[in-house]
Amino acid sequence: MAVSVDEAVSTGPARDHTPPARRLGGRGRSVLEVALLTVLAVVMLFPVLWMIETSIKENRDVYAIPAKFFDFKVTLDHYKDVFVAPDGGRSALSVSFLNSVVVAGASTVLATVLGVPAAWAYSRFAVKAKKDQLFFILSTRFMPPVVVVVPIFLMYRQVGLIDNKLGLILIYTAFNVPFTIWMMKGFVDEVPAEYEDAAMLDGYTRLQAFRRFTLPLLVPGIAATAVFALIFSWNEFVFATFLTSSDSVRTAPPAIAGLIGGTTTDWGLVAAASVVFALPVLVFAYLVRKHLIAGVTLGAVRR
Amino acid sequence: MRHPRRIGRVSASGRKVRLATAAMLLVATTVTACGDGKDDDAKASAPKAPATIPELTKDPLTLSFIWFDWPPAKALEAFANAEYKKERSNATIKVNTVPNANWHDAMFTQFAARKTDFDIAILDSQHIGEAVTNGNILDLTDFVKNNIDVAAYNPYLLAAYGQFPQAETGKRDENASLYGLPLLGDTWTMIYRKDLIGDKPPQTWDQMISAAEKCQADNPGVSGLAFHQANGSDAAAVTYNTVNGVYGGNLWDSKTRKIDGVINDAAGQEAMDVLVNKMKPLTAKGSGNWFIDEVNAAVAQGKACIAFNWIAASGGLLDPKQSTLGTTREQILDKLGFATLPSQKTNLVPLGGMGMHVSAYSATANQTEALNFMKWFERADIQKKWAAAGGVPSRTDALESPEFLNAGPFNQVYTDSVPRMRDMWNVPEYARLVNIENTNVNAALNGAKKPKDALDDIAKEQQGVLDSSGRKGGGGL
Amino acid sequence: MSDPVPLTTDHPGQVASATPPAPGRSRRLGDRGLAVAFISPAMLLLLAMSVFPLLWALYLSFTDYSATRGGPANFIGFGNYTAILTSAQVHTRALTTLIYVVGAVGLQTVLGFGIAYLISRRTHGRGVLTTLFLVPMMLSPVVVGLFWRFMLDAQFGVVNSMLGSLGLGQVEWLTRQRTALLSLIVVDTWQWTPFIMLIALAGLTAVPKYLYEAASIDRASEWFRFRTITLPLVWPLLLIAVLFRAIEAFRLFDLVYILTNGGPGVSTETLSFHIYKVAFLGFNTGTASAYGILMVLVVIVLTQLYLRYLNKLKEG
Repeated sequence: MAVSVDEAVSTGPARDHTPPARRLGGRGRSVLEVALLTVLAVVMLFPVLWMIETSIKENRDVYAIPAKFFDFKVTLDHYKDVFVAPDGGRSALSVSFLNSVVVAGASTVLATVLGVPAAWAYSRFAVKAKKDQLFFILSTRFMPPVVVVVPIFLMYRQVGLIDNKLGLILIYTAFNVPFTIWMMKGFVDEVPAEYEDAAMLDGYTRLQAFRRFTLPLLVPGIAATAVFALIFSWNEFVFATFLTSSDSVRTAPPAIAGLIGGTTTDWGLVAAASVVFALPVLVFAYLVRKHLIAGVTLGAVRR
Repeated sequence: MRHPRRIGRVSASGRKVRLATAAMLLVATTVTACGDGKDDDAKASAPKAPATIPELTKDPLTLSFIWFDWPPAKALEAFANAEYKKERSNATIKVNTVPNANWHDAMFTQFAARKTDFDIAILDSQHIGEAVTNGNILDLTDFVKNNIDVAAYNPYLLAAYGQFPQAETGKRDENASLYGLPLLGDTWTMIYRKDLIGDKPPQTWDQMISAAEKCQADNPGVSGLAFHQANGSDAAAVTYNTVNGVYGGNLWDSKTRKIDGVINDAAGQEAMDVLVNKMKPLTAKGSGNWFIDEVNAAVAQGKACIAFNWIAASGGLLDPKQSTLGTTREQILDKLGFATLPSQKTNLVPLGGMGMHVSAYSATANQTEALNFMKWFERADIQKKWAAAGGVPSRTDALESPEFLNAGPFNQVYTDSVPRMRDMWNVPEYARLVNIENTNVNAALNGAKKPKDALDDIAKEQQGVLDSSGRKGGGGL
Repeated sequence: MSDPVPLTTDHPGQVASATPPAPGRSRRLGDRGLAVAFISPAMLLLLAMSVFPLLWALYLSFTDYSATRGGPANFIGFGNYTAILTSAQVHTRALTTLIYVVGAVGLQTVLGFGIAYLISRRTHGRGVLTTLFLVPMMLSPVVVGLFWRFMLDAQFGVVNSMLGSLGLGQVEWLTRQRTALLSLIVVDTWQWTPFIMLIALAGLTAVPKYLYEAASIDRASEWFRFRTITLPLVWPLLLIAVLFRAIEAFRLFDLVYILTNGGPGVSTETLSFHIYKVAFLGFNTGTASAYGILMVLVVIVLTQLYLRYLNKLKEG
């Protein structure tokens, strides 16, 4: 069972703070702990807050020394610049956001279509060397991207997939399939096989039993898995940088990175673009918060 | 596991199958890679462009460029679409841009793919060697002979953006092949605060340093100098090369392909000493990763007395929206002066800018259009219009025209600098040479290496790269 | 040409005869067919996109092939491997990477576990706290790198501005040898402490209550309870998290690329970053492939540890 944030709140088992509170200094310690947590939370969240602040500052306040925390004029111009080019047309950034949506979306769908049936098969059937196969599948996920990008590049140039959205979709799918299989296998394992057995006794074929009885029960799991796959592809940078070169194919991460290194850097725009880019991920992550642990360990750890 | 009765055993046969698969794949790989090798052999040298422009297509056509993302790229696209369309109404110009840091990689990975989404590559002058040796761009020698008035240019400008093997500084070898034509000329300009150091720019490097020193002492919070120090692109390398040139040093001996003993000779050592021990202390703290945009920001924020930057990247300094120096262009110009670089033992300045080069992998109709575009672009009247539109032309008549000289406060600087230019090596190993120099100069500037050690390491490592062609294995380390 | 798919039909995803739940030969064949049909597409994709490129890299690693220079790939035996293993430049990068991995993973383990422990002792607001702490982990490394670069700027950055308000001097975060590597470690720690925290929290909240109750009757000291009850139960999960982070940190590329570009000099160049330079500056594809294969070997060792531990965990 996956540990969820909500569960951690409501049903956490260990309530051991009462005995120490009775002791001398127990209250003092509790206060100290809260203070420590607050400080840590502020430190962890400050960069995010600062990013949001920068995105609504005018550029001359962005560089102000000492830094302006509260007394600055609020502007939404940077957000406008993210989407609208100076000449009024679509900005290159907004095109790259769209590309990201297409690439991340398509690779997620593909990884789901390929991964879910495989996960079901691994869960239900006795496959030869199953453990070896599953571990092999997981280990492909651990390859350093910089290493893989060279042969992928050579391979893609033979088949014309360089600077092509399909090329990115395929490589992201390949990186998401291992995750999908591991994550989904856990979900499938939780659905009793007896449901299918019973259906088959009623005359359904195995495939029908899967489709009619197991698949509907898997939908929440599939959704969670897909969201994580989406986040991985959405944030990916290395392949996106080295396998694309034109505005019409480039995804958002290299496009945002490209905002610095011109003749002037518009940090307000960088911040606004970063906020816009991060927002969907945070929303999605919140939606799948129940499965975060499985999600971030490639489905390997589930409690 | 929920269903133990269904679990198969880990068997040895699974491994055998996998091994067999691996073996098959390896064989397949070898075959593929060898086939690949044959492809490459056929294109070992640069293909020739036709001497005269063949018939142009009447169908709609998009002529694509690749450049890095900066204002001149936008200027070029707007200019070409406005003017070239008047002659060729069916042609549309598209300038694809990549981040500056990716510029070389983006072009050469596409060249490596033998398929480019651009017809005209805007190569840095030093990229020519790599592109020619790999056969990535067309040989324009015959085309230039028949279509371009070479006498209208300073010979070195034609050589720098087109010739391979590389010309001697300041000259052109008329028997050598040409692979490109100038698109945008560029060099460093000295940007100085007239209100802080006076109207008259310093004339020698020594004067420049003492002016910066005095200015920094007189104006707390303002640094004496701002220049490129980053270890990416060619930032720190150009800075060292410039000082090296000014102090009479040489980057290499191109005839004997010798770097060790040349770049780190007495003049080279002095240049490194001046850069690290005299200039660096006058820069802002933490400026060790600055490149074009950071130097511009420092000037615009009023934090530098004297700065050095590429002319083509200086336009933004006059924009009141990005500046704290004034609320109008005139107010800013009251404070900012632009001058040619001071001289010391020599008056050399760095050659920047880029040329146009035709991709060997684009369609014939596009290559033809590209040649036509280049011929059009190098016409006297168009060069003047390009100057008026914010570009830096290369024809002498255009450089001396009022259209150019009145278009920007730094344009006179460029015209005056043309006879003083020097370039880096344009050998195929350029990318690695410049990386060695960048990282070592950057290390010296930031105290990660002693200046002398850094210079000796540059000499040794660069020499190693030039000499490594016959080595077995480990190339690129 | 290079399309590997037809070559890989003999993949390892063959299916044994299961012990089927219902009788009938046709159904048994159906199961086997189904398993093959369901598993093989995923397997084929992995073979084509992960295994095949790796084998190709393995082949190229024994050659002097260059992706741009063209010409045939000449076999040079272990030339690339000996050159890499004996190169002082590579040793420098390996040391940098090691310091980075140990520093970053160590720091985030201590911090992550600490935060998790503090959160687990709270009764109220645990959900909100956890959610807030998790935000950095979800951001793209590009966003993280760019923004920290902005914040750590010596002149205009907010970090130095705050230090200045406290009366402290400017620190050159990104342009001094020691501080640049430290900055990388700090930024990575900022992003990935939540990861360790999340997993540690899962372990901490799963410690059965009765164990603590028994211990408190015994009047065991807090430290004793932590050492004998909490830690042994959380340790396996924590180790998984550490291994996972170590693998990820070992292949770090994007943060270096954006935050320091390897500088000052080459002092923050990691192995991944060095491979990139070998592969794309000189297009020394053969050398880069050998370099990559060596890195994969290290990752395989780490992964094996990870998987073995995982296995133990699942069985236990």
